[in-house]
Amino acid sequence: MKRKYAVAASVVVAASLTLAACSGSPEEEPAESSGPVTLTLSGWSLDITPEFQVLADGFKAATGNTVELVEYDPAEYNTLLTADLGAGAGPDIITQKEVKYVPVFVDGEQLLDVSDVEIPDAVSGASSYEVDGAQYAVPYRQDSWVLFYNKDIFDAAGVEYPDGSWTWDDYDAAAAALTTAEHFGTYEHRWQSTTQGFANAQFDGDIFSGDYEYMTDLYERRLAREAAGYQIDFATSSANSPTYQGEFGKQHAAMLPMGTWYVASLISQQTSGEADTFNWGFAPIPQVDDSTVDKPVTFGDPTGFGINAAIDPAKVDAAKAFLEYSMSDEAASLLAGIGITPANTSDAVVDAYFAVEGVPTDDVSKFAWSTHETLPENPTDANTSAVQTILGTLHTEILTKAKTIEQAIADAGAAVAAL
Amino acid sequence: MAVTELVVVPSTPSDDPGPGPRVDRSTRPASRLGRVVGSILLVAFALALLVPFFWMVLSSFKNPNEVFSVPVRLWPETWHWEHYVELWTDTGMATWLRNTIFLSTVVTFLQVLTGSFAAYGFAKVRFPGRDVLFLLYLGTIAVPWQSYMIPQYIMLAQFRLTNTLLAIIVLQAFGAFGVFLMKQYFESIPEELSEAARIDGLNEYSIWARIMLPLSTPALASLALLTFVNTWNDYLGPLLYLRSKENWTVQLGLKNFVANNLEADYAMLFTGLTISVIPIAVIFLLGQRFFVEGIATSGLKG
Amino acid sequence: MTSAVADGIGTPSPRRRSKLVLRNTLLGWSFILPNFIGFALITLVPVVSLFYVSLTDYNVFGKGEFIGFENFQKLVADPLFHRSFINTLYFAVLHVPLTIVVSLGLALLLNTKLRGVAFFRTAAFFPYITSIVAIALVWNLLFSPDFGPINQFLRFLGIENPPGWLTSQDWAMPAIVIISTWRDMGYYMILFLAGLQTVPRELYEAARVDGANALQRFWNVTLPGIRPTMFLVTVLLTIASLKIFDLIIVLSPGGTQAPNQATVVLSQFIYQKGFIESKFGYASAGAVALFLVCIIATVVQFLINKKRSA
Repeated sequence: MKRKYAVAASVVVAASLTLAACSGSPEEEPAESSGPVTLTLSGWSLDITPEFQVLADGFKAATGNTVELVEYDPAEYNTLLTADLGAGAGPDIITQKEVKYVPVFVDGEQLLDVSDVEIPDAVSGASSYEVDGAQYAVPYRQDSWVLFYNKDIFDAAGVEYPDGSWTWDDYDAAAAALTTAEHFGTYEHRWQSTTQGFANAQFDGDIFSGDYEYMTDLYERRLAREAAGYQIDFATSSANSPTYQGEFGKQHAAMLPMGTWYVASLISQQTSGEADTFNWGFAPIPQVDDSTVDKPVTFGDPTGFGINAAIDPAKVDAAKAFLEYSMSDEAASLLAGIGITPANTSDAVVDAYFAVEGVPTDDVSKFAWSTHETLPENPTDANTSAVQTILGTLHTEILTKAKTIEQAIADAGAAVAAL
Repeated sequence: MAVTELVVVPSTPSDDPGPGPRVDRSTRPASRLGRVVGSILLVAFALALLVPFFWMVLSSFKNPNEVFSVPVRLWPETWHWEHYVELWTDTGMATWLRNTIFLSTVVTFLQVLTGSFAAYGFAKVRFPGRDVLFLLYLGTIAVPWQSYMIPQYIMLAQFRLTNTLLAIIVLQAFGAFGVFLMKQYFESIPEELSEAARIDGLNEYSIWARIMLPLSTPALASLALLTFVNTWNDYLGPLLYLRSKENWTVQLGLKNFVANNLEADYAMLFTGLTISVIPIAVIFLLGQRFFVEGIATSGLKG
Repeated sequence: MTSAVADGIGTPSPRRRSKLVLRNTLLGWSFILPNFIGFALITLVPVVSLFYVSLTDYNVFGKGEFIGFENFQKLVADPLFHRSFINTLYFAVLHVPLTIVVSLGLALLLNTKLRGVAFFRTAAFFPYITSIVAIALVWNLLFSPDFGPINQFLRFLGIENPPGWLTSQDWAMPAIVIISTWRDMGYYMILFLAGLQTVPRELYEAARVDGANALQRFWNVTLPGIRPTMFLVTVLLTIASLKIFDLIIVLSPGGTQAPNQATVVLSQFIYQKGFIESKFGYASAGAVALFLVCIIATVVQFLINKKRSA
């Protein structure tokens, strides 16, 4: 393929087409073994995602090496990155935005084996980047799903705050008690993970099994809440496309199951006035029963860094040093300091996180943030994307009432079996 | 139907009542009725077409959280004119517009020029392999761009064209669409005209320039307009090729602007969309004339 | 199709004939070449390479090997492919005739001298110039099952259970056809308007003298007069309908997840397999299938057109 294009290219040059020699690929400077190295790193929405710059600055201070950020559109991140990698213009360090694409990059031989990079014990989520026993990336942040709640609405309704011992029954009851003419009891976003993520984690579900019986309970509850008007129903949500930040931030809903990344967004939106000012906290996500209250079971995927297999060999050591740095206590504390949930949650990092202006400091929030068993949302497997697509169909079918839960589960099972 | 009434003559009461030209100058009630019915139809049509558009424009004046209120409301509670100012001051709108205008103009010029030139070859010259070649052109229209955009990207990267405006130009300017469109129109122009010109000693290139082009004004205007609009509204192409902010187009800039605001500020988005539609609407209004300047009138009499 | 150079009287000598052919070939190519250079490089090469890729198990980064027709065998057995194939045809069968009728009607209506016609022409073209993002947002709201104005109006008319439109299995595709027609009619109206200009007015005069009424004139003068345009529009519209992508992507988020995959279409299938699942060879096989469907449809239209104009 490559050769074919090269031939085409030479034909063109022979045809003496004048080409503007200006390209988007970073100019390769011959890196000297000594002296500082400049690495490139892919990121997205840099204006509102400061974590990349924070790591780059910290790394520069620690090692003297520079990291330049390359910005991509978040919605088309993987497509654009794929195009650049195919064209040999990819960044040195590839940020793994979604775990389900890791097998794709590994399969395409785009990632360097980084098994020799030291991973500290306090870091969670590293197993998501293991393929056939080798490590292809390392996690620097690990969000997990918790329950956000609006303390003011709870107070007004006289409902007890979630205390870390809630089961789904408690959640249903609270949603009912909190619903008024002004707001819904809870808001669950349109993503399939808002129901399936918990079902997979708490009911020992296996998305490759083809047997999705275990999702029935949580779907029945959700349909019941929607039917009773305790939360906006899926069809309306699809038609009106509200944002979850708007629903919770504008106090249209009293509760919101969401990933911990929302903490930083909510604080900044309350500061800027985009969101109303109200008291809030977050608690562990409700559990199936009280057997798991000591270490609540939830889900979440890490975000990590891999190294481009086509990187200039002279830069490999510097790139690995960056990976190591991104997991260090120092870097994790810097990340925690801007409201990010790092993969490394040693005690020093916890303190740094809860010292941030605006982060709720009650014990339940602290417990929810630092103590949980987080199962991966997307197991690292070549079939993950295909299966998640099928399960996305199941999600929509059930919630738009196109099929009964039973029927949708049976059909999804058949589709997975046919893969 | 009233094709023929489009010659630019002052309107008289005997003008066409809509469905079909009139036989004589007597005013039949049917024709009056036809005129009224035609007008009513037009107004109904226009309303259906414009309601969503009005909603977009009106939403640009709303408070961001008002845009998706339930139930749907058309009229803003309070008018926020400041969105239009903010868009200019807070974003690179000026740069985006400049790039987009530049791209659309160059692409349109190239597409119309090379497309109509090639169309003459396909429509009026007979040579072996012509039809096969034309089918090849047509065939590429039938392949979705998404399926070959990556190989194409890799190839253009070899030419070091990525992240340049030139990439978008070469991507858009040599499409098969323009060739196909112009070929169809050239074929409907009577051959006698060319024959007469040949007898007068004109060569084929002069015939293309002096007979064919002037006679196909409506088609050229259509092609220019449609090409311009396509380039103006293209999102995926610029997204794939233009990485640096100084090269962004309006569509790309607006999309990023929304993605970069934590709470999707739909009011601001609609402000940008409204601004991005206005130039085309103006061009279209100004270009009206050219769509309705038939070759029918110049006919074969001269 | 007429030759640019008359063949002379009687049969020309073979030598003269071959000279003539050579001259015409050079002439034809001289017209086509400027466009063809750009076209061949930018479009033709990648498209042709697609056919090769469809016979490999390449991933999206171009790593893989030749596997012959294996992808096509898999395609035939793939339920998602079946679904998207049927949906694509369903969309095209609804969308093509509807859009032709509406846009031709519009063109005829706007080709008159009624008051304000210039404004209406612009209005009809508005949907096409409005960005797809805005269209998706607006129509999703209009079609909202419980609060949307469309269903409120239907309830007002006394329809108890109006359809769920984009969220329902049976009505999602018709809803998309409606939106698509609304969006595209301005575009094809422009083409028809230009085509209507080519009908010589003498023919209308003659028909009128013969006492033909409006309908007869439309049938016997207008329609034959705009045949090249009609052919152009039909071919373009058919291909565009079979290729529909962006509108479906923005209207049914998660596209392939719409109820029972009611709106998944071929180009989406290609996108899903190629970019989301990184099976580039397999996706290319899907693209080749779509290409064949388009080509068959086009060739059929070509033949019908040839027969009619014969």
